[in-house]
Formats: sequence, C-alpha cells, structure tokens
Amino acid sequence: MSSINQIPVIEAKKGNPLARVFDELVRFCRSRSLFILHYCTGCGAIELPPAMTSRFDMERLGIQPMVSPRQADILLITGYVSIKTLKRVILTYEQMGSPKYVIGICSCTVNGGMYWQSYATAKKLDEYMPVDLYIAGCMPRPEAVIAGLQQLMDSIHAGKANSWEDYYRNYDYYLGNQQKLFGDNWQTPTDVIAEAKHYNLLSKGTLGVHTRLLEQHQQPLEALEMRLGHNLKEPTE
Amino acid sequence: MAPLELLLELTLMPLVAFLVGMMMVLMMRRIAARIQRRVGPPLFQPLYDIVKLHSKQTQVSHGLIHDIGIVMAMGGYIAAETLLPVPGMNGIAEKGGIITLLYLMMIPSLGLALGVGQCANPNGSIGIARALTAMLAYDIPLVIVIFGVAYAAGTTNLVDIIAQQQAGGFATWGAVQMPLLAVAGLIAMHASLGKQPFEIYIAPAEIATGPMVEMSGKHLGGLFVMQCFQLYTISVLYVSLFLGGGSTWFDFLLKSFLVLAIPASIAYLFPRYRTEDLLRLMWKWPVMLGLIGVAFVL
Repeated sequence: MSSINQIPVIEAKKGNPLARVFDELVRFCRSRSLFILHYCTGCGAIELPPAMTSRFDMERLGIQPMVSPRQADILLITGYVSIKTLKRVILTYEQMGSPKYVIGICSCTVNGGMYWQSYATAKKLDEYMPVDLYIAGCMPRPEAVIAGLQQLMDSIHAGKANSWEDYYRNYDYYLGNQQKLFGDNWQTPTDVIAEAKHYNLLSKGTLGVHTRLLEQHQQPLEALEMRLGHNLKEPTE
Repeated sequence: MAPLELLLELTLMPLVAFLVGMMMVLMMRRIAARIQRRVGPPLFQPLYDIVKLHSKQTQVSHGLIHDIGIVMAMGGYIAAETLLPVPGMNGIAEKGGIITLLYLMMIPSLGLALGVGQCANPNGSIGIARALTAMLAYDIPLVIVIFGVAYAAGTTNLVDIIAQQQAGGFATWGAVQMPLLAVAGLIAMHASLGKQPFEIYIAPAEIATGPMVEMSGKHLGGLFVMQCFQLYTISVLYVSLFLGGGSTWFDFLLKSFLVLAIPASIAYLFPRYRTEDLLRLMWKWPVMLGLIGVAFVL
C-alpha cells in the first residue's frame, strides 16, 4: 500500500435514512415479542411452568407460549431427543416461519447428557439443526432459562441471531447428519432448497452429496384422498 | 356535513378504535396476569406483537381466499367502527343504525371461515365450525336485547338512543331502565368476546387455537389487529346501548374499559364449556332474561 489510492474505501450506502430507524424498530419488536413453541421431550419441561407462571413470569419480557409451529418464533427443546423424536423436531422446525430460533435446554441437547451411551438418542442437537442458544444444566433452574432467553433477546436486538440462515446455507451438512440417522430415504414435506433460493441464501454448502441423494429418493408429495369415516377400507390380510 | 369533514371522521374513527383496542388487549392480559399473581406484559406489548408478526420473513399464504378472509375479518370491524358514535364524531352512525352494525359484526366470523377453509387444517375446520356455532348461540340473545332497546327507544338510530339516555342523566340510562336486558346483553357480550368460559373455538390445549392454527406472520398479525377492533366494538356497543354513551372522552373511555373489565375478570377464573353446553346455556339464560326484559319494555 504505497499510494493512497490503494487503500480500500468502503462507500457509505445511500439509502432512505428512515430505513435504519425502521430496521431498528423491527429488531426491537422482534426481541420484545417472542412466541415459544416448547417441544417437551424430557425432564427439562418441568422447569418451564414455574418460568411461565407467577413465580418468574416470562410474560414480563414479552415471551408467551404458542401452540402451533406456524405461529412460533422459538423452538424450545427441553431434554434428550431420541431418533424417533428428532424426526418430529425437524418437521416442526422446518414448518416454522423465519426468523426462527432454536434453544436447547438441559445437557442432553448439548452432548447427550446421561444418555450419551444410548443407541437411540441423538447426542448433539446442533448437528441436525442450527441452535441459537444452549442452556446447560441437569436441569437448568427457571432463572437460568430466563437468563438464557434474555441473552437471546439481546442478540436478536443486536441483529446477531441469524442462525436460521445457517440451515439454508449449510443444508447439505445438516441433511447428511439426518440421513446418517434416518437412512437414505429420509425426506421432509418442506422443500428447503427452494426456500433457500427464495431467501437468496443459496450458497456453497446448500447443495452437495447429500442433497443429490435426497433427489434420487425423493417422492413427490400427494394430497391425501378425502374420505369419510365409514368408507375407510379394512386392511386386507 | 361537509364531505371533507366526513372523510376525516371515517379515517379517524377506526384509528382511534385501533389505539383504544390495543390498550384493551393490554388491559385483558394485565387482568389475567393479576388474577394469576403475575406482573403481566409491558405497556406496548400488543404493539410489539403486531409489528413483529408483520415483519416476519416467512409469510406463508395458502391462497387468495386465505388472504381475502383476513382482510374481511379486519374490514368488517373497521366498517363497524364508522357506525359507532364516539364523543364528537358520529361518522355515518345516523344513516347506518344498529341493524347494519349487527350485520357488519358478523362479517369477521364469515371472513375467518373462508380464510381458514383454504388452510385445509382439520384443527382449523373444527375451530371455525365451533366459532360459527358459538355465533349462533350468542347472536340470538344479542338480537333480542338489541330489539328490546330499539323498541324502548323507538328508533334504531344509535345517535338518538345515546341522546335519549344522556337527556335525563343517570336515571335514563339503559341499564337502569332495562336491567334485565342489560344483564342478558352482558352475557351475550362475554360470549361474543370468545373468552374463557365461552372460549370453545380457540381452545389451545384441545384444537391448537382453532382458526389461528395455520396462520403465521402477517395473517396472524391481522388477526391480532382484528382482536383489538373486536374488543373495542363490543364494549363500545354495550356502552352506547346501556350506559348512555359518552359525553366526554374521559367518560367514554372509562365506561368502555370498565365494561370490558367485567368479562375479563370472570374469564380467567373458569375453564371452558363444551360446545353443546355453551349452546344450551346461551339459549336458556340470556334468552329467558332478554325475553322477560322485552316483555317489560312492551
């Protein structure tokens, strides 16, 4: 860098000055209004009712439980995920609307916890989907859960909680780990690659060996036939 | 009235209704929190929720009717606000009357039914079937009550009904003149809010919030906005029919918040009725009270 011309200059983006204010408002509102979908698989679920009810009251922070994945922002996984459960967790995760956040509660989601020797348990949750935050402990107290959620709120406000983009950017990695557990025939109803294109997040890690394997085995989704209860055929032996 | 002034009123009335409605949502959530010995959400929580839902990156739409259904659900109430006189603004209340208002208040449920129908979620279909059944249940006492009030006042014009009540002070209030109709109206109003004992179509633990189950992003946000309008419409209608409307804004807001606090305080103490129990209850007690009240008026 001998001359001054070689020094890279980042030009300030010209844009609507109100856009920044609006972005700030959106980030603030996102951080202050979080709808949780709690997927209670293990013993950690018992720490959530005190966190929500009168003792610790999560609604103070704008956090409230919701019942369907479409409405929720946070997927809260409390406890160990067995291989059978993990399928449901992934289906749920893919149905949620972005920006979405995953929180793993208890040490079982971190490294398998006391089930680390089990053949039927998925040890690390973040091999199968991007996890924003772990709250370790066996089990974490409600204070720890709320402290973790506050940390998530801070990072959403700072615009750093973008791990949902990671699922689209590195879909091949996550799909590979899923196929290792569930077999080559594994497919979900959600077309993740098309979604990645839609969000403009298609990158090097999106497509790869595993997505090609998915394409080989993928069967097109068909709507279920509409039937009334009486017309159901008995299975013939 | 000058057309420009009318246009201003037609714009302002839904806006005011939205702001007051958000405060009403907050009040309901705060009352729930106090009853459960919690602190409750912060002051701007309803606004945060609405802004967040509209700013979600994924906006799943199940088709055109799904979108139109939400617009109908909101639009029905927005149209209803222009028929509800507030202090200083009458909008088109003198031309519309209560019967038009009743029709407009049914549009949101029908819009929701259309929108949910396209989602093709069984929980949603059950929810909407229950919502329409609930509407059948509470509309009959509501119509009887409104007929009684309109017959007593000799007009279906809401502005005239309010003026008649304000003429003689407290003694000419609808609630004092026709206490039976006022009680029946309160029960019907509680049922039309869809709050706890009558919450058959939301039922989160049973049918996963029913009509809202497939809604996400701005569709759910639209329903949150609809809820603000719903609370405002129902409480202001009750205030206009029975509590003499409002001569000043302070008076008006105090009455409408107080009216809404009654069902809110009852709601969080009770579990839910079953659908047939709700129907039986609504067609027995409020209808009976309403009919006796109408007999007194006649």
